[in-house]
Amino acid sequence: MTQIPVLRFERSETDRVIAGVCGGIAASLRVDPTLVRLVFAMLALAGGAGILLYLALWAWTGGRRPWVAVVILVLATMALLGALGVSALVVVGGGLIVAGLVLLGRRGATFRPGGASLSWPGIVLAVAGAVVLLSHVGPSRMILAPGALAGALALVLVPWIWQLSAERRERIRLEERSEIATRIHDSVLQTLALVQRDASDPARVRTLARRQERELRRWLYGSGYGSAQTFADALAEAAVDVEEAQGVQIELATSGDAPLDERLAQVVLAAREAMTNAAKHAQVDEIAVYAELEPERVGVFVRDRGVGFQRSAVPPDRHGLAQSIEARMQRAGGSATIVSTPGEGTEVELTMARESP
Amino acid sequence: MIRVVLVDDHALFRAGVRGELGGGIEVAGEAGTVAEAIETVRELDPDVVLLDVHLPDGGGEGVIAGVAPERPGVKFLALSVSDAPEDVIRVIRAGARGYVTKTISSEELTDAVMRVAGGDAVFSPRLAGFVLDAFREGARVGDDAELEALTPREREVLQLIARGYRYKEIAARLHLSVKTVEAHVSSVLRKLQLSSRHELARWAHDRRLV
Repeated sequence: MTQIPVLRFERSETDRVIAGVCGGIAASLRVDPTLVRLVFAMLALAGGAGILLYLALWAWTGGRRPWVAVVILVLATMALLGALGVSALVVVGGGLIVAGLVLLGRRGATFRPGGASLSWPGIVLAVAGAVVLLSHVGPSRMILAPGALAGALALVLVPWIWQLSAERRERIRLEERSEIATRIHDSVLQTLALVQRDASDPARVRTLARRQERELRRWLYGSGYGSAQTFADALAEAAVDVEEAQGVQIELATSGDAPLDERLAQVVLAAREAMTNAAKHAQVDEIAVYAELEPERVGVFVRDRGVGFQRSAVPPDRHGLAQSIEARMQRAGGSATIVSTPGEGTEVELTMARESP
Repeated sequence: MIRVVLVDDHALFRAGVRGELGGGIEVAGEAGTVAEAIETVRELDPDVVLLDVHLPDGGGEGVIAGVAPERPGVKFLALSVSDAPEDVIRVIRAGARGYVTKTISSEELTDAVMRVAGGDAVFSPRLAGFVLDAFREGARVGDDAELEALTPREREVLQLIARGYRYKEIAARLHLSVKTVEAHVSSVLRKLQLSSRHELARWAHDRRLV
């Protein structure tokens, strides 16, 4: 939400003259790298702004130095504006406005009614910037040369940014929809299937309904998945849920633990689906689950000694395997490997690299 | 015939295990507390004691401490529902030859008792996880360097146990003989019992034990 799409590029490993920044930008914008390099070269003539900008992007893609990047970026902007004949005070004023807007943006403020609360420091910064700018510039002088340039840039950039954000909104919407579909499949549809199967047993139906209600409430109104605070706890919770719902025994072993974050929660959900799958299809009453949390990676193994299956025989529309396990792990930046031998059982291996602390 | 004493404070559970243990095993006696267990085991001198980790008057390690000096031949196998890792590790460090959960199937329990009686170590998936957790930091240098860390092979074997593989399957997967797999597990057990590494101390401390 706070990330600007333009900055989502990796330095190119293959297409590089200096450090691959231009190549990376070109690849992510799908334009000719020579064009990008030309733009940087021209900007370099404007008080060295292009060189500074290059360094800033280099630092940004390095990952751990966002502040270095921001500082160099500010210097680059000042160099550029200086070269365009804009005085230092104007730059300071503009900088304050930008900083204020960034603060507002980070708080998730929107212009829609009912948006998130505004950031007061952001508003103060933006207003202070506007005051500095207006008091110094006055209406007349600066509008001419730099103004013309800015107008031209705006003509080019505004439609482009507009289109980019529209695309991004659409992508987010699709992702959210897929997430909701997966979630509903994992929980509500599974419970409904169980209710139909056990319709003759009122006590069991009641238990199922109550648990589903609790779970749905937790998801809709609570803080994410379950009440567990750590990865191992959440996995244990998921195992108990599956044991209860499917009537199997889950032998859970874990090594290592960490506070539950969004990505680890996705691994737990995928593991839970793997356990449910094993419980439903393997025709066994015991499933072994082992989770290993290392500082740099997490691995979960879900193993049964059941009937096994052949991947080619699973219809592609079966939601559990493809969506709830594989796609979920991919969205979280990990992967799922499924090894199954008919007659001998199945092992689902979920792995994900973790950011170094 | 392997003679077994059951130590667990739930009579119902003892009755269940008594019925489940297969041929070749005779349940010679039962006990429900640490004091009772020490007395019974000293008197009966069984081959194997199936030992609950928690008892009303103390932990399972109290039984081992009370019996081992006089009856060094008695082997202990910890058996429990789902305990905190530090409790399980404590019983193992006190001298138990393995740990299995109470959800274990009858055949597997029978097999585990046989194996412990024969001098092998028995690791359930959960114990393997606990041990990997306790030894997770890298090797240390020092006098006891050999005891302070698991070898890559031992780690591999334990990981497969944790994933629910049986010794035979592990042997096939790692291209080893079952005997070699057993040797690795026994070696891990020895390290677990003899290591004075501060990792184990710190590990226990992290779980507010010390």
